[in-house]
Amino acid sequence: MHRIRRFEGGAAGRRPASRAPRLRFAASLAAVTLIGSAVPAIASATSVITISGATASYPLVQLLAHKYVKLEHNKVSFRISQGGAQIGVNDVAAGRVTIGDVSRDPLPTDPPGLVFYPIAKYAICVVTNKSNHLANLSEAQVQAIFTGKDREWSQISGASVSGPIDIISRTSTAGVLTNFKSLFLANKSVSKLAAEEPSEGLLEQQVENTPGAIGFLSNYRADSGGVNAVGYNGVGCTLANASSGQYSAVARFYEVTKGKASGAAAKFISWIDSSRVAHKIVASQWIPV
Amino acid sequence: MSRLRKPWSDRRAELVLGAASLLTGAIVLGMVAFVAVRAWPTFAHNGLSWLAPGGSLGGQIESMLSTATNAPASAYHVRAWPIVYGTLLITGLAVALALPLAVLCAVFIVELAPARVRRVMIRVVRLLASVPSVIWGLLGILVLVPYVGNHLVTSAERTSLQNTVQLTGAGLVVAVVLLTLMITPIMVALTCDALTAVPAAWREGAAALGVNRLRAIRAVTLRAIRPAIVAATVLATARALGEAIMISMVSGSVFFSPRPSDGVAFLFEPLRTLASTIVDFREGLGGAPALNSTLYACALLLLFSVFVLSVAGYLVKLPLRKYQVRG
Repeated sequence: MHRIRRFEGGAAGRRPASRAPRLRFAASLAAVTLIGSAVPAIASATSVITISGATASYPLVQLLAHKYVKLEHNKVSFRISQGGAQIGVNDVAAGRVTIGDVSRDPLPTDPPGLVFYPIAKYAICVVTNKSNHLANLSEAQVQAIFTGKDREWSQISGASVSGPIDIISRTSTAGVLTNFKSLFLANKSVSKLAAEEPSEGLLEQQVENTPGAIGFLSNYRADSGGVNAVGYNGVGCTLANASSGQYSAVARFYEVTKGKASGAAAKFISWIDSSRVAHKIVASQWIPV
Repeated sequence: MSRLRKPWSDRRAELVLGAASLLTGAIVLGMVAFVAVRAWPTFAHNGLSWLAPGGSLGGQIESMLSTATNAPASAYHVRAWPIVYGTLLITGLAVALALPLAVLCAVFIVELAPARVRRVMIRVVRLLASVPSVIWGLLGILVLVPYVGNHLVTSAERTSLQNTVQLTGAGLVVAVVLLTLMITPIMVALTCDALTAVPAAWREGAAALGVNRLRAIRAVTLRAIRPAIVAATVLATARALGEAIMISMVSGSVFFSPRPSDGVAFLFEPLRTLASTIVDFREGLGGAPALNSTLYACALLLLFSVFVLSVAGYLVKLPLRKYQVRG
């Protein structure tokens, strides 16, 4: 029920007691506004670096960023998202993020003005389901399988499963796929029969689910224990072999900026390059550049 | 402050609410215009044969990726029938399965269940209707896809199709089952609401004429709620058309048109829909202009199909006006 107000006269007609709740309301509103305007001021004292890009380099960049924040005593903060190498390139070219994570070499179709800083190397392993104890594949065998020439496991010596080969690949915009094609397939295309997963995680899940599956992953994922990492040309796909240079299928992770890196992003990238702590992090599961 | 507490005049309320609804309309129109402008290049190059079959869609999309800013006209060549067909197939099958399931569920909950069961079931149905679709996707990829791949697909089927398509378990049947499970609770909730709105006098009249319960339900109640069933179907179909993430996870991610001539293997064949293609290639947005335009064309087609759905729903409800219980 509405209280009907009677506006007779000026201040004399108003009851002073009704002003108190209004004054309280005004005071609390002013306080909230002051605090609210102070928060961005506090936040801007720390600089924010936004990163987006490859799913393959995300675990490494996450570890590096975590360590860097601790060393800088929380004066810098990171916002890292994934989406794929091509998203990293597009986002940094459009100015949406400060740094792009890219897991492939620069392509001629990339937007102009981007600078690629290599931060680590990683190996690409061919992987099969755990029940398939395939130990090694030659270059010719890998090409025959992934281009769809050989369709049966019975055509591959060393395979412990039978039936048709299920090729699991990545969507065409993935950086790891671009490197896989240039390192293993001599730039031939993967067969149209292949299932195209949008991320490393989903590719790993599919290979784990399907006994007859074969795919490819960065060494960080391949060593996680859920899949069988297959040797290439007689060399096992392990971190030791990749670091020593024996394993040939090695590619680079890049941090990409629009123009030369500046400000907080430049300090972060040069820290990765020069610091011993960063070097140790990279060497733990990847190969230092 | 006191001005806001006074009751608003009718005129002011009318203006403000009118402005709000015009704003909504303007946002929808702006969205359609935004998508249409960006989708135009691919339709300019392909015309209506954009929807036709022809060649390998996977190959056409892959060749778009290497084209840069000045894409030649040949870069825009695309024949997107596999994904249009995939969308129609998945949505059609899911709605065809969900409709009878939902109506029978709703009839049980409202007409036949004891009051205690009814109270619990209504809450369970509403809860199911609000489960995020990515949860269904996780369920699919962790439970259903391995089960179908390892126990339902026979090696004879795999071998006979090994040069045409891979049968890994992720495919049509898992996508349709999950989509049906996703849209049925919405339809059940809406149909239950409609059933409870049927006047008791109509049911009592049927009973007075000596009609048994089930026949009364069929002849009186179900006929009365036909407009509500149509509305629920339209809503559920729109949700099914737009489902992207879940389909992308469980449908096999291959540009392939499942062939009914393959017999039972038809159910296990992988496919892609318009929405799941946008999700799978979202990295290409803002990159190669040919791919950008093709993805926006998929989005425009989805918007258009939802519009067609609403119009179809309206046209179906038109002759049912004389049985109108609720709009």
